[in-house]
Amino acid sequence: MKNIIMIAFISLSSFSNAEEAKDRKKNIIYKYKDYEAIDLGALEIKGKIIAPGDLTVSERERKMFKRELLEKRDFDFENKREISNLR
Amino acid sequence: MNTLKKISNLCIVLSLTMITFKAQGTAKEAFEIFKKDHSKSRNKRIAQELIDGKFYFSAIPYVNLYLDETNQMDVEVERDIETLILKTGTMAVLNLDDQKLEKFNIPSVHLILGTRYFNKESYKKSFDTLVKIPESHQFAVEANLIKGTIKDLERKTIEASFLYNSCKEKATKLEKDSKNEKMERYYKLLKETCTIRLARVKIEEKKYEEASVIYQNIDKRSYKWPYILMDKAWAAYYLNDYNRALGLTVTYKSPLLESYFFPEAEVLTALSYYNLCQFDDALAVVDHFYDNYKPKAEALKNLLGQNKESDTYFIDLYYADNETRDSLNPFIRNMITQTRKQVKFNLDIMSLKAAKDELQLIRKLKNKNEFTQIMEDNLDNTLEFISKKINTYIKREIFSFINEIHKHSYSMFNLQIELLAKKREEIYNSNVEAKTERARGSIDNVRRNVDQYFFDFNGSFWADELGDYSFGLESKCKIAEKVESEPAKIPNSTEDNTNQSKLPALIEETNKNILDKDSTRENKKNKSKKKV
Repeated sequence: MKNIIMIAFISLSSFSNAEEAKDRKKNIIYKYKDYEAIDLGALEIKGKIIAPGDLTVSERERKMFKRELLEKRDFDFENKREISNLR
Repeated sequence: MNTLKKISNLCIVLSLTMITFKAQGTAKEAFEIFKKDHSKSRNKRIAQELIDGKFYFSAIPYVNLYLDETNQMDVEVERDIETLILKTGTMAVLNLDDQKLEKFNIPSVHLILGTRYFNKESYKKSFDTLVKIPESHQFAVEANLIKGTIKDLERKTIEASFLYNSCKEKATKLEKDSKNEKMERYYKLLKETCTIRLARVKIEEKKYEEASVIYQNIDKRSYKWPYILMDKAWAAYYLNDYNRALGLTVTYKSPLLESYFFPEAEVLTALSYYNLCQFDDALAVVDHFYDNYKPKAEALKNLLGQNKESDTYFIDLYYADNETRDSLNPFIRNMITQTRKQVKFNLDIMSLKAAKDELQLIRKLKNKNEFTQIMEDNLDNTLEFISKKINTYIKREIFSFINEIHKHSYSMFNLQIELLAKKREEIYNSNVEAKTERARGSIDNVRRNVDQYFFDFNGSFWADELGDYSFGLESKCKIAEKVESEPAKIPNSTEDNTNQSKLPALIEETNKNILDKDSTRENKKNKSKKKV
């Protein structure tokens, strides 16, 4: 009995395999790997490329250093000297 | 004629003999006191005898000794001190300290002590001492000058002007009343000093035009005149009349003023060019300053260094013959000439001469003794002291001149940096080309009063024109502004040449009084041009 069941099971499964092989030969779908797309809009690039021709100096006011120039607001030096030259 | 001459000679011989007898007599009296008197008043009596015999310098040590020993003041001592001050100057009280001098109640001592305090910068003490001199006294002139200076230093300009004015008025009166030529010159000097002070106060008050008018009162032949050119130039500078300031400082280039050195004049010249935006000219002045004054300062430093230990080198230069003087660096020779013009220097030289004469008189005395020997030794010491004093004075003058050069070289350095910055700015603004096309000078740029005439400067300095020069430069600063607002016009070569031929010289001479100018000019035209 056992043998009969085994033979029946084997013959049934081989039948189904043969049916499947027939279907495969009919609809073969070749699948490629999925395309790896890059979303440029989503990437943020920091800084920019500066070409030699585009060299610029940022506008700013030039620093002017004011030096102390000679002033003559009194004659203390001359006046004192005159007195010391009197006697 | 011969008889008159003989009588005259006889009178001189007789008077000299009488002086010698009198001198001998009083020296003898003094010797008697020296020998016999052992009282406290011994030194005072000796001094009085010597003063009577006109041995003024010999009397000084005895008065000083008396005051040191007794510390007593009386009318006689005051009278003696007053006489000695009049005859020997400050030498009479040189060894007396301030506390001792404060006990005197005589104007001459007040003046000496007040001056001493002033020179020590104890201005309050100086003022309080000088205030004791009565306004009617002849020394009030000098006292008011010093008091005015003190108030001026305190910036109390109203009080200072009042004192200076009082000094000027008193000096004018005394100058007119003077019978002695030296005294007349002395009061004239004080009058001019006080007049200049009044003008300086006006400058300090920023009343530059009023100051310029006051300066006109100083005669061009005055000893003080070359010094006021600097003051006037500053007044013109602050009135933004830079061309006039340049004209005034250029006066020092005249051959008549070659012995005057004012490093400050160079700085002011450069500053005036700077304010006219004539940066190249200003830089040329800066370069000239370093080229000119650096070797001078070096020469003086070497001279000081080589003779720093000597007590006689500088005074010997004063007495040196022409050959020795000519062998000196011309600059040092001129420096000595300048020092000789100072009042203090001349007073010391007069003291030295008087002390030498007195020594000769003692040496001629017939009866020599222990006392006359002491007198001789004292006078030798006095002569040595006065010589050292004069020598130190000249040294100090040279030293202060070197310092002045150094001080102004610092000002020049700052100015040079400013000038370089301005030059850089010019390059940035690309104004250089437009400016180089510009004319050098024009009468249109000379500011004149109604009583001032204009004449071309032909390269000769005339004595009556000194101090009346003005440049005719146009300010480049205006050009720079124009260039910014409108494009630079490039003149064609023909137009440029025509303009050049019409342009007056760099220096324009103006400021002459109409009344005396016409006649002077006519004379000049008739004469061939010659340099002063």
